[in-house]
Amino acid sequence: MAYAYLFKYIIIGDTGVGKSCLLLQFTDKRFQPVHDLTIGVEFGARMITIDGKQIKLQIWDTAGQEAFRSITRSYYRGAAGALLVYDITRRETFNHLTTWLEDARQHSNSNMVIMLIGNKSDLESRREVKKEEGEAFAREHGLVFMETSAKTAANVEEAFINTAKEIYEKIQEGVFDINNEANGIKIGPQHSAVGGASGAGGAGAGGAAGGGCC
Amino acid sequence: MQKMLSRFSDVLQTAADVLAPPPTRLEDFEYHWKMILNFYQNYDESSKVHIEDTRIPHHLHQMLQLIVDEEKEQQGGTVGPCLEAIVQHKICVLDALTALAAADRPPGARSLALTTGTALLRRTRQPCVNSVHVYRPLQRMLIQCNESPASPTEKEEVELLLTLCGLVRKEPGLANVFTTPFVEDKASLLSIPEDIQKLIPIKSKVQTPKHNTLFEVEFSSNTLRHMPIVRTNGPEDGNTGSGSADDASCKSQKTVYDDNDKFLLIDLLLSYLNSADNQVVLRACEGIMIVSSLPEDDIANLVTSCSPVCEAIVDKLAVKYKCIPFNTEPTDVDNLNITWAYLAQDYGDKAMNKFQGYRELTSFYSWLDYCDTLMKECHPTIAAHLSRTFRQSFLEACAEAGVRSPRHAALATAVLAKCLRAVDAADLISEFSNWLVGEGEVPEWPLLHKLISNCLTDNHDITLETLQFFQTIIEKGTEHSIHRLVLSRVCSRGYLSQQPPLEDEERDRLNDVSLWRERERNREAMQQLQHEDHVTEQIHDILSHEGVDVTGQDGAQNIHKIVNSFLLLLPRAILSDPVGADYLHYIHDAHRHYQFWLDQTSTFNWPSESNYVDTTASSTHSYDSRPEADIHLDEAFDNYKPDDKSPDPAASFYIEKYNYPQKLPKVSTGDEDFDEGPFFRMLYKLLLNMPHQPYQINLHLTAIVSKLALIPHPNLHEYLLNPMLPTAKKTQTLFKVLQEVARKLSVEIPRIKNYKKVIESTRLQLMSEDPIYDERGDHNQLVESLIVLEEFCKELAAIAFVKYQHALQVAR
Repeated sequence: MAYAYLFKYIIIGDTGVGKSCLLLQFTDKRFQPVHDLTIGVEFGARMITIDGKQIKLQIWDTAGQEAFRSITRSYYRGAAGALLVYDITRRETFNHLTTWLEDARQHSNSNMVIMLIGNKSDLESRREVKKEEGEAFAREHGLVFMETSAKTAANVEEAFINTAKEIYEKIQEGVFDINNEANGIKIGPQHSAVGGASGAGGAGAGGAAGGGCC
Repeated sequence: MQKMLSRFSDVLQTAADVLAPPPTRLEDFEYHWKMILNFYQNYDESSKVHIEDTRIPHHLHQMLQLIVDEEKEQQGGTVGPCLEAIVQHKICVLDALTALAAADRPPGARSLALTTGTALLRRTRQPCVNSVHVYRPLQRMLIQCNESPASPTEKEEVELLLTLCGLVRKEPGLANVFTTPFVEDKASLLSIPEDIQKLIPIKSKVQTPKHNTLFEVEFSSNTLRHMPIVRTNGPEDGNTGSGSADDASCKSQKTVYDDNDKFLLIDLLLSYLNSADNQVVLRACEGIMIVSSLPEDDIANLVTSCSPVCEAIVDKLAVKYKCIPFNTEPTDVDNLNITWAYLAQDYGDKAMNKFQGYRELTSFYSWLDYCDTLMKECHPTIAAHLSRTFRQSFLEACAEAGVRSPRHAALATAVLAKCLRAVDAADLISEFSNWLVGEGEVPEWPLLHKLISNCLTDNHDITLETLQFFQTIIEKGTEHSIHRLVLSRVCSRGYLSQQPPLEDEERDRLNDVSLWRERERNREAMQQLQHEDHVTEQIHDILSHEGVDVTGQDGAQNIHKIVNSFLLLLPRAILSDPVGADYLHYIHDAHRHYQFWLDQTSTFNWPSESNYVDTTASSTHSYDSRPEADIHLDEAFDNYKPDDKSPDPAASFYIEKYNYPQKLPKVSTGDEDFDEGPFFRMLYKLLLNMPHQPYQINLHLTAIVSKLALIPHPNLHEYLLNPMLPTAKKTQTLFKVLQEVARKLSVEIPRIKNYKKVIESTRLQLMSEDPIYDERGDHNQLVESLIVLEEFCKELAAIAFVKYQHALQVAR
């Protein structure tokens, strides 16, 4: 199916916070309480519409276990967006966010949009992390925040779509170099003809200087 | 009444329970097992019914669910009765799965067997893989499936393997289960044990073992066949209780591995690297990465010494390299940005045919990215082995020929340059650099000489690509490679000489424009002087703006002179931009780039650069007007005699530490010529040829030199950036070379008809970066080179200034 843009996402966070369930809810609109442990990385895709444009989301659901961290890291580079998920009923998953964020920032491109997700909002009675805490963490680290429930589907659409909107806005602002696929963005087949018009600036004939080493 | 009824029903229920109690979990488990056996006892092998249309999946699923459920109730990691039945081999459901996988009867059974095995490992927390009755059937299943490459169940096979890798990652001792003593010989793994055949009487598809490289080893007698590897907390198995080496997995034992030993897990993974299905390859890659990144030393040794994994990975890189079509445009190579992990999804894309060679290049660079990532993640022992293999089997055995072949040198160099740019692992960069510049004390390194001579060929494409390669070599420079390339000669400061240069040399060049009529000359000279005043004023403004007190320090006056020398190198009359509006832009760029170099070289064992101020100042001072007081100090310093005749840079920097406004140690007698080495010689030769070279070459050439000028090494700094350095007449320096080029240009440019107009329009066109301009044939190379030189001088001035400023800050 034709699309205007393709965005690559990753879902990260501790094991058991519901990453795979979020993906399944978003791609298949269903909830599966018993799920095999994710080994390495699983893949899902869905088409969404933003601003009247078809956008294909390719989503990589990563294993939360430490054992697979070496693989997960390979996916940071080349992703345009990340959903960083914790479980509102397990404080330790919230406490590990800093580590996740450091890992993500270190290995991803600097423009990657990160959305903080407090999952399992349906389990209000077992809540250990207040919504305000999530909001505060997001504010402090410049993330977008949302509480979701993969079980009831509450906010699941919004989480994925808002991340896409943010990426889309960054493209409009020219923050992302859409011709560099390492940014996790691809222009759809019908758009690629207008692709090459970026790359302004530089020192002109003094390109010897502009060439730079960074 | 109701109460009584309810009591009555309770009593009835109890009575019923006594007569026929509800089945225990184990009984349920046995029931489903018997149903499976019944099915196979009565199975007609000619039946075409798919397994999904039978009850087998249901029974297997139930059995699995019972194990999952019982585990939830178990305390402290003990094994529940259902799993215990498997571990004790009372219910050999895993062996049955192996038989199903081997026979694939009913159709679809193999896939089911594999996914059931995988699910057991993924859904339970403690699947007892270290039990012989768990791991043996899994091994057997994997090996039997592996016998038929490219089978339709490849995906399920590699998933099972990857799951096992994950378990090994969590419990490293499990790796032993997949090494020689615990892996049975091939023949026994390829046949289904008789007791199982009786239970599941179907013919195995795998009958005649094909040639399988996994089992080249001759196994010793089958003494280990009954080796129990039962968990200590599990119940002892009656007939396997011999107990000596019974816990293969409690801890990862330090073992010396034999050359003939095998690491089955990795070997199996390797066989999937050649799958046509990219998802399968990706999974195999992930598995290799998981096992290789284990921190245990003995597992790393196992990987490098008992499996050909490094060799296989690098060989695959070499194969992919050789697939790159010869007619790929070298300029297309640079724009690729490939992450190995994402490739599998992209492959189906139509965009894969963007340009000639795109698919092959993508495949090659994604594999390189995998090698690089693996090297960053894996155990240091594996990284070292992999990088050595990379050098031997890829760089030396495969890539080097391309660089040496006149027909393919441009593409081969472009591909290699991109390789070096793309890699990030320290081991890889280090091997790569050593391959390029040589090791030890070998004075002449053939490959480096070849590259240098490639820069000097008549073939502009080769020159251009090789220059870009050198640019990358410097950017990715290791302490060793930068030393070999540029520092080894300048470290001795052999370029220094007592002889002061001619004071007015700089101005004299105006007199060379001998063809001009006297009056014209005077008029121009006037304008030149005005221009110089203007530039001086501008620099003054910038310096004050950047917080340098121009009137105060000596250093400030000297940096002023240095900046001036670069900015006034070309006569005003031929400047394309006499106003010099973009100085600040260059200063900002230089700041940024210099910071990169400071970070890049922060761990290098180089003398500190904080004495730029003094070095530059003192060397400048001696030949310019300067306060009397300093001269006295200078004279005092003249009494310093180095003990050793041969120059000792350490000593000289030691002196500089005292911050004497010193004269430089007398190093060169001035009679011997300084040998700048082949690399600088090449750069100077090309610089001198600037007026007659294409724009692109000049651009990359000057980019290399400006990178060298940024490098924070005191000797290199003064050699490149101090125009007032006292050198012997024959000693070549950057400034002398640039003066020579400027001289040539100021003679040749005015000969062009309407030269001012041509300069103006060429500048406009170059600045516009209009791609159409590149395609036009009527470029004025001479004028283009003038503009490159003009901008280059601004850049050098900015670099000198930024380094000076940095030194000041450090000194404060």
